[in-house]
Amino acid sequence: MKTVFINCSPKKKFCASAYFLFLQRLFVGGKKIDEKLRTPADHDRILEQLRDARAVVFGLPLYVDGIPSHVLRFMEKMEAFCKQNGLHPSVYCIANNGFIEGKQNEPLMQCFEHFCRRAGLTWGGGVGIGGGVMLNVTRILFLVDIALLALNTVLSVVNTGSFFPKSAWISFAENAALLLYFNLGVLFFLVRMGRSIRKGTDCGKKYTRILIPSFVFILFADVFFFIISLFEGGIFRGWLSKKEYGKA
Amino acid sequence: MKVIIHDLEKQYADMINAKCDRAIAADGKYAPCQGCFGCWTRHPAECFMKDTLQQACRIIGQADELVIVTGNLYGGYTADIKNVLDRSIGTSTPFSTYRGGQMHHTLRYGKHDLWKVIIYGEITEAEKDTFRYMAERNAINDGFERSEVRFIENLSELEGLL
Repeated sequence: MKTVFINCSPKKKFCASAYFLFLQRLFVGGKKIDEKLRTPADHDRILEQLRDARAVVFGLPLYVDGIPSHVLRFMEKMEAFCKQNGLHPSVYCIANNGFIEGKQNEPLMQCFEHFCRRAGLTWGGGVGIGGGVMLNVTRILFLVDIALLALNTVLSVVNTGSFFPKSAWISFAENAALLLYFNLGVLFFLVRMGRSIRKGTDCGKKYTRILIPSFVFILFADVFFFIISLFEGGIFRGWLSKKEYGKA
Repeated sequence: MKVIIHDLEKQYADMINAKCDRAIAADGKYAPCQGCFGCWTRHPAECFMKDTLQQACRIIGQADELVIVTGNLYGGYTADIKNVLDRSIGTSTPFSTYRGGQMHHTLRYGKHDLWKVIIYGEITEAEKDTFRYMAERNAINDGFERSEVRFIENLSELEGLL
């Protein structure tokens, strides 16, 4: 069984779609192929991988309530390619959005269903994830936690000769548990979808989110964009003003 | 101000221009959004890519009435039209708020009136339902008071609906 995972984020690195596809891969067996869809130059290479694929998993961000335009262009080609070659892989979708409600991915999911119907493919279902950007940050925080634990262990060996600094391990475990909690909804539904991919069955459309209260999420998102805008200079260039066409 | 975004051939340009204050021809001669958020955080309401859509959000943001004329692609906009919309998130700011009971971004240009979509060509009933839902979601997301969706089989019906 061969499964093709297509990362459709236009970003070159550190994208949430890559994170969710990485997690999904853990729960799928057989031959696994990773592809990146950013430009039309990627189309033919990915289409060739579909010839003997039993399942295709799209990982993509939600753009303006729908599928990003560069992915739509690929889907049009994929429809024609699959019809020409009599291919009928099952299609699964992991969509993520910056807003906290995963349910906001519903129009995107419906478009994927229509795509499958027109292309003669089997719609296998999908997972819509709210707070995708912030969940993506949790993997970085986890790596920072590991680095801190390693540093504390080295300091402990140097200072006391102990290879097991208890307080550092407790702190690491607490932080790791918190990060795991934020991701629990995503993990639950990706495990379920992984089982469907393995069996070739339909898992339906499921929606989840980062497990924190909405008002806390909005506060963090606002602070995040304030800091980024400060460093990138947008704050000093009419950050929130009604900019006129043709002017600076 | 009335703005029309369309993916029609050049032969329709005069008719479109006569029906609005500004028109955006979605001809596909521009790059897709790179998801960098630079139009929020680096150069507000302006894309770093220097093509015809660099300041498209400043036109769309000023629209009281936005009319989108599009073909159907899987119950949504064609790729050319969607590209224009994807490149126009500068109509909002990076700050968040609640609208329609869900999280959305605050509006750079304030509230608008009508988000109208005219879909031409072949479409299934299920795709029509998705299009209505999509337009409704777009209207809430972009701060439009109401949405309207019309389906036409032939472009000869278009002029009366603009």
